[in-house]
This record gives sequence, structure tokens and C-alpha cells, in this order.
Amino acid sequence: MLTVSTVSHYPKIGDSLEEQLLRRTYAQFDRKEVDLAHVERTKDEVTRQVIQEQIDAGVELITDGQIRWNDAITYIAGKMKGFELTGLLRYFDTNTFYRQPICKAELTSPESLLVKDFQFANAISSVPVKAVLTGPFTIARLSQDKHYKDFEVFALKLAAILGEEVKRLAQVGATVFHFDDPALLWFKKEKAVFKKIWTKLASYFPENIETILFLNFGDLKGIYPEIQDLPFTTLGLDLATETENWEVLESTPCTKKLLAGIVDARNTKMETEEELQGKLEKLLAIVSPENLSVSPSHGLEFLPRASAKKKLANLAKVVREFREAKVKT
Amino acid sequence: MNVPILPTTSVGSFPKPDYLKKARLQLSRGEIKEKKLRELEERATKDWIHFQEEIGIDILVDGEMYRGDMVTYFAETLKGFEISGLVRSYGNRYYRKPVVVDEVKRAKPMTIEWFQFAQRLTKKPVKGMLTGPYTIMDWSFNEYYGSRRDLTLALAGVIHEEAVDLEKAGAQYIQIDEPAVSVRPEELPLAVEAMGVVTKGLKAKTLTHICYGDFEKIYPGMLDIPVDQIDLELSNSSFNLLELFKKHPFTKEIGLGVVDVHSHVLETKAQVVDRIEKALEVFRPEQIYVDPDCGLKTREVQEAKDKLRVIVEATKEVRKGLVSAGSVGGKL
Repeated sequence: MLTVSTVSHYPKIGDSLEEQLLRRTYAQFDRKEVDLAHVERTKDEVTRQVIQEQIDAGVELITDGQIRWNDAITYIAGKMKGFELTGLLRYFDTNTFYRQPICKAELTSPESLLVKDFQFANAISSVPVKAVLTGPFTIARLSQDKHYKDFEVFALKLAAILGEEVKRLAQVGATVFHFDDPALLWFKKEKAVFKKIWTKLASYFPENIETILFLNFGDLKGIYPEIQDLPFTTLGLDLATETENWEVLESTPCTKKLLAGIVDARNTKMETEEELQGKLEKLLAIVSPENLSVSPSHGLEFLPRASAKKKLANLAKVVREFREAKVKT
Repeated sequence: MNVPILPTTSVGSFPKPDYLKKARLQLSRGEIKEKKLRELEERATKDWIHFQEEIGIDILVDGEMYRGDMVTYFAETLKGFEISGLVRSYGNRYYRKPVVVDEVKRAKPMTIEWFQFAQRLTKKPVKGMLTGPYTIMDWSFNEYYGSRRDLTLALAGVIHEEAVDLEKAGAQYIQIDEPAVSVRPEELPLAVEAMGVVTKGLKAKTLTHICYGDFEKIYPGMLDIPVDQIDLELSNSSFNLLELFKKHPFTKEIGLGVVDVHSHVLETKAQVVDRIEKALEVFRPEQIYVDPDCGLKTREVQEAKDKLRVIVEATKEVRKGLVSAGSVGGKL
């Protein structure tokens, strides 16, 4: 009951020499001092480091830290055929950027997008690993479509490709799928299209998998409770910076499992233990402990690595003590 | 302000030469003293000023050889800030994000000495370069102020003090960069209010640089930002923004980004000429200042120089055309 999880990315580098490995390696690659195979081995090594850091912090369901991803969009879109990556655009309201993909031909994904990454992480982790994907709506919304010339057709195609990927990942042992699909909260008027896209995506889901729809960079006003009609098992949301989400959740009973982002992953200010305990109490008035897990509000790459580690350890400690206290009572 | 029609300029930063990059690393490891670093920063600044003069840029910048990052530089000098560990912006680029831990105050002038140093090296105007309060707020962690607004307005006060000192030191152009303004349309009024505090009472020409955002959401509202000129990256978006300006006239001067700073590919003179000519369909010649999309520090030294050269050559060609067509008078 009541588990601790991470979402999407983890800081790729930190302040120590050892933690700077990936940055150094990219610089060496740019200077042609090392080859691509060396860079790939380094990504493996850093993935190993960040997996261990999450486990050491007390996280019970981890991600691979998305060490291989440059951003949420281009890693996946760049592997599909039919996209061309172009100019830099800001990712939502962050100070991070992505290269906008332009769809210029029929989209296909002849090879798996994430199977190798998942297998690598899953093999070295002593705790369960989530497969993290960017949702079809968000990839479609943050790209340009010059081929299908119809947003719905374009997004449905992406849903089909990602659906196939879910099947491939399930075949190699993935059971928990985390979809970051935050663009819905910036384009709430398109919720009907979102529903169609997600229905299509879910038509590929094998039985007995957990599917998390994680929505951040906004609040769920006007989306909840309807969103619960969609075919996913767990609703993830930002309950650290989006204060209105509390009112939203308290307005109507939650019928899904909940992944509550209660630690602010975009500010270094540390949450106090009392603050986090208070949030856990409030959450347990909304869902049962079996249906609740908690996490940071976003991937942790917006924070310096030292802060990220500290925040995760703090969250895990509070949850551990909270669980123990509940068991006693 | 004695500059030709379509003045050429730069957005702010230039790449640091290898000897300076090495020296910054050596300083961080305690292998050299600050005095040595300062000597090399001065040498690099001189080189960039001379290069800009040599190729015929009209309004110069000091190239920010002494700055690491556009926000961190100010945070390091202001009271109330601490500097965090590294966070990533894109690719392999990281910066130390400032953390506000106390009331923000200006302990001493932050850019005046370097402005004076650069201006003494040339008769052409050198721009005073500041980062705007909204961007410093948005790109910092806030552990002290109760709201984003409180922090922004506190910062506006200290940036105003710096702008006044730049003007006193002789700056004819003061650029207050606000790249974060395009991010949250609902906070544009806050950015406008804060810029009003910064530019209040200034007689120098004021400008702001905004980049990498969804301009459709903040246009035409961004024209309310109280500055004389707005500098925009147009190449990165293939000049699509011009369509927006056709629908609603751009009422200020425009800094026209004509080369992509995130690409190794060098634009041809013909491409840049074409971009300026496209802009001339939308703006009056007197409105336009020509420059790169953004700071050139992301490029290698030679790439940056080549891009600047192509800007100057293309602009000269367009100017000739304007004069011979009788669209403008005056000197070239």
C-alpha cells in the first residue's frame, strides 16, 4: 500500500566529477576523441547510476531516468520514419527545449522505440521499472503535420504506433506503462479528440497491465471527472504546484488509482515532513492506500541532481514512516 | 545616434575563444588567479570589438566574455541569491540555476565597468546589456518570495538601478533581455509592468530580446512592453512570424534575427538578403535592425564570425538597393 514512484526523467549530471561523466563524454565525442559506441556505453553506465540512486533514495517503482532522451518528443519521434526534426521550441513553460518534428511522410516504426532501453533497465534494477512513453496527443500537438493534413488522423496514427510499442514492451516483461500526455491541459478544448486517441491507444493494451496517464504543466479543471471514463488504470497529476487540483479531486470521487505528484520537481525549496504528511492524509480521504502512490510533480531533471536526490529521499522517508504509523494504528 | 539605415548589431553573447574557456576551467580548479582570468577576458573582449569594427557592424556588443550565463551572471552579483548545481537546458548545455534565498538587493554595479571598458575601445556605440526581471525570476528557483510577482517586481527595482547607471556611463542603447516572456501568456502583464519599472525615465534607446516561444499567444500584447525596440528570432521559425505581423502591424522597431544560432550551417548571402527583403514587405526600413536570432555563444568562434560577416554583407546589399530605388536617403 501507498508506494513511492518517480516519473519520466532524472538529472543526467550532478556536481561531482563522477556524476559529470555523460557531459564529458558528449564533449569528447564532439571533439572526435571517442566514438558513438563509447557514448552509448556511457549512457548505459549513467543509467545504471541513476537507477541505483532512485533505489537508494527509497523509490519502489522507478524509471530508467531517460538518460538517452534529449527531450520528451524527439527521442521517440526521431526513431519513427516519416518525421524530420527541425528548429528548437520551448517545452511548455519550462526553460528546456525540443526540436520540433515535422511529419512529412507516412509514419511507421519498423523497429521498436524503447524495448532495448527497457530491457537494459529492467535487467539491472532490483525494484520494478516502469516503461515511460510520451503520449500520442502530446507528440502530435508539439509536432507539425504536413503529411496527413488532419490532426485527428495524424494523432490516431501516432496512437497506433505507440500501441504497437506497448505490445512489444509487454512481450519483454513490462507491466507498468507511464504515459506523459500533458498537452491535454494546454488544449483542453480538444478533449473529445483526446478521448478518441486514447481509445485507439488502449485498443492495443494487453490484459493485466497498469497504465498511468500522467498530466502535469496545468490543472485538471474542466477535464476531471470525465477523464476517468478513459481506458487507463491510474491517473497521475501535479499536486505540488497546481493547488486547484486539490479542489478538482475533492469535488467528485476518484474511480481510478491515483499517482499523486506531491513533491515540487521544479523548485529547490524542500518540502517539510509535516507538509508531506498533511498531503498524504488528504489523499487518503480521496482514495484508499492500496490505490495510492506518490511521486514528484514532474521528472526531476528540472532540479540539480543533489536537490533531486534529497527530495526523493525525503518523500520516501515520510511515506515509510507514514505507513509504519498506519500499520500500528 | 549616427547609424545607417538597417543598422547591423548582435543580440549579446559571442563564443569564448578556447584560451578563455580553458582559463575559466583553470580558475574553477584553483589553478590560476582571478587577475589572470580578467586579463584574458579583456583580451577576448578587445578581439571581438576589433572584429566587429573590421567587418563593419554598426552597433557593437562586448560579447559577454566575462559572463557564464545570462541569468547566473546577475544572480552571482546580486544579494539574496545562491547558485545551485547544474541543470540542463538543451542537449549537452547546462547552467547553474540561481536560487533566491533572501531579499534581492544590488550590492554594486554589475555591468558598468565592462561597458566602459568596451566603449573605450571603439567610437561606435556599444550596447548596455541586461537581463530582464521577469526572466531572472522565471529562470531562478524561488525559496524566499511569496509569489512570482513579488520576486519579479523586486528584481525590476534592481535592474532599473543598473540601467540608470549604464545610461550615466554613456550607453545610447540599453537592451533588457526577456526571453522568458513568450512562455506564459497569462503573465505578460506582469512582464510589461516590470519592464515599466526598469525603463522608467531612461532617455537611451531601450530594447528587449524575446525568443523561442509561441508568439501567437503574446502578440500583439507584447507590443505593450515599454521599450523602443523588440528583437526577435525569425530564422529559427523560417520567418513565419511575418504572417502574424501582417495581420496586426508591428508598431515598434524590430531587431530582425536573420541567421540561425543553433545550426552549424552558414547561411548564404542570398538567403540573408531574401530574409531582409521579406521583412521589408512588412516593416518600414527605418524600423529594422539586423542581427542574428540570438546570442552566438552556442557557435564556434569561426562559425560566429562567418555568420556575422554574412549579415553585414547581405545588409549592405539590401541598403544599396533601397537607396538606388529611392526608398531611403542618407548614407550607406
